[in-house]
Amino acid sequence: MSLRSAFAEAAGRSSYWFLHTFRNGGSSLPGKLTLKLDPNILQAFSKKYDLVIVTGTNGKTLTTALSVRVLREKYDQVLTNPTGSNMEQGIVTTFITAPRPKKKGLAVLEVDEANVVKVTKYITPIAFIFTNIFRDQMDRYGEIYTTYQKILNGVKLAPKATIIANGDEQLFNGHHLPNPIIYYGFNHEHKEAFDAPANTDGLLCPKCQHILRYHMRTYANLGDYFCPNCGFKRPKLTYAVTKIDNLTPTSSTFEMDGETYRIGIGGLYNIYNALAAYALGRFLGVSQAQIKDAFESDERVFGRQEVIHIGDKEVTLILVKNPVGLNQVLDMIETDPQPFSFTFLLNANYADGIDTSWIWDGNFEKLVQHQIPQYMTGGERYKDITTRLTMAGVQKMWHEPDLTKVIAKIKQMPTKHVYILATYTAVLQLRKQLAEGGYIKGGMD
Amino acid sequence: MAKYHLRLAHLYGNLLNTYSDLGNIIALRYYGKQMDADIAVDVISINEQFDPDKYDIALFGGGQDYEQLVVSKDLPNKKAAFQKFIDDGKPLLAICGGYQLLGKYYIGAQGEKIPGLGILPHYTLSQDHNRFIGNITIKNESNGQLYHGFENHNGMTFLGKGERPLGKVVSGHGNNGQDQTEGAIWKETYCSYFHGPILTRNGEIAKHLLLTALHHKYLEADLSQAENLVIKPTF
Repeated sequence: MSLRSAFAEAAGRSSYWFLHTFRNGGSSLPGKLTLKLDPNILQAFSKKYDLVIVTGTNGKTLTTALSVRVLREKYDQVLTNPTGSNMEQGIVTTFITAPRPKKKGLAVLEVDEANVVKVTKYITPIAFIFTNIFRDQMDRYGEIYTTYQKILNGVKLAPKATIIANGDEQLFNGHHLPNPIIYYGFNHEHKEAFDAPANTDGLLCPKCQHILRYHMRTYANLGDYFCPNCGFKRPKLTYAVTKIDNLTPTSSTFEMDGETYRIGIGGLYNIYNALAAYALGRFLGVSQAQIKDAFESDERVFGRQEVIHIGDKEVTLILVKNPVGLNQVLDMIETDPQPFSFTFLLNANYADGIDTSWIWDGNFEKLVQHQIPQYMTGGERYKDITTRLTMAGVQKMWHEPDLTKVIAKIKQMPTKHVYILATYTAVLQLRKQLAEGGYIKGGMD
Repeated sequence: MAKYHLRLAHLYGNLLNTYSDLGNIIALRYYGKQMDADIAVDVISINEQFDPDKYDIALFGGGQDYEQLVVSKDLPNKKAAFQKFIDDGKPLLAICGGYQLLGKYYIGAQGEKIPGLGILPHYTLSQDHNRFIGNITIKNESNGQLYHGFENHNGMTFLGKGERPLGKVVSGHGNNGQDQTEGAIWKETYCSYFHGPILTRNGEIAKHLLLTALHHKYLEADLSQAENLVIKPTF
């Protein structure tokens, strides 16, 4: 480590200590300070760690958390970054505040798509995990092709790193790359050829621009795709989900390569996260038994969908931010065997995405087929979500634009189970209310 | 069973679906039901025939640059069908990319000039490293209605002879950020950059499109009940 890097690291570390001790926070500022003193600081860590980068639109956080858990079955220490610190500054903070490893350590980092190149410029990873590329809030991000190109700009600097990619995502099969590639995906069914619903993003064959068809589709444009025109098709999978046994909002039981696994969280998309972590674990020599142990030993890793007790209600608060994620959440809720009430809190601040159009791609028409006794809409843009639900066929619902009054309304709902879907700032606002009311500790995570 | 039946052509619906255009179909069905009309939807995509006589109403949405480029290459095969549908005075709603593709040309992501159908006389230029993003309100100058939406576009569209704007910009950017126009009206073709989606926030436009389609198809019918439908504000 150069003198400059050592000095920058020391400065960053002490600022972290100060912020952490006296200000109860500080995840990006120490990194920012360190980068100012030494823009090449990440280079100093390239010899100290083997690095795995997890990137993609959805599932980065849980895939990273699960990967760390799996790899800790084999490695003494695995460094990772806290939720949300997936940009350059947060990553620098992660490195400078970690205990110095005695021998070469392993780091598994969630990295924002556009920041991959900022990391690979200094540290050549041993592997990448690609989760998926979906349309996110487009007023902030770009189109799916632009997003993937940003990732590839970073991959170009690490042509020997193994890519562990979602094989059900056709974008990950469209470019010829020098890297070794391992694909994971779903292999649990095979049907007669069919079309995806028209309202699906990314249906073009990357080779000949015809519309792709499917033998199996999990959700969005993910699945066992093929092009009827040029023969482009899903690559061979190295690791696969071979059977789905049982799905509820709080658990999923499924088989990977013939072995049964259970994770304490619902949603097909979370099985993809488990599958990605499994693929990385297998790639790095973790056994199936160890992976099973990692998944089942401690369920706190799935903290994002904790159940909050409000009076006699069991409330599940879920962050929603884009149409693909929203539809997955709606699918998951439907697996609840108990009756439930439904609340949607919609804000349109910068962090939520200022365009609320995406709610129209949510399949609320399907939700309405369930006998849901009570709906409620809230948040600054409650009118938009009310219109959405009305046009989906909901006749009557409560409205509560003021988030400070939501908790009182929840207590009056007619079912024990209540689901609250909320955009980012609505989650923050509601959690603040819940913390003040003593229903939860602390703020977000 | 509804009294009236409309057929909607969702043009390139599996490629130009980025801006939640499905919401426009949901809104048409919602208001259609209140007018005693049901709507059957067909997606008509690349390499497929568009029969203009088979459909009463059409939607031409917006997509990503890549999909839009692929669609532009298929358009010559459907030009005669588009021309007939529009000249017959059937209602067509075109949003963002669809709007651009009805005109003479637009500028692609790499700066290349991409020809459109050239049925409507507008053309679209691009801005350097800028997009018009944000909430927008416009006023329809012929009937005084206010329309609300969200715009997110790099293109700057300039209207041609015989086109009038959908509205005058009250707040936001509109077609090009310069002349206070937003969208275009040509015969019964309505164009706009509005997300929202446009018909979910502006039911009056949905009502107008549906009435146009019903009058066109059911020449003798007494549609006074549909005409008297009161649109409740949703925004």
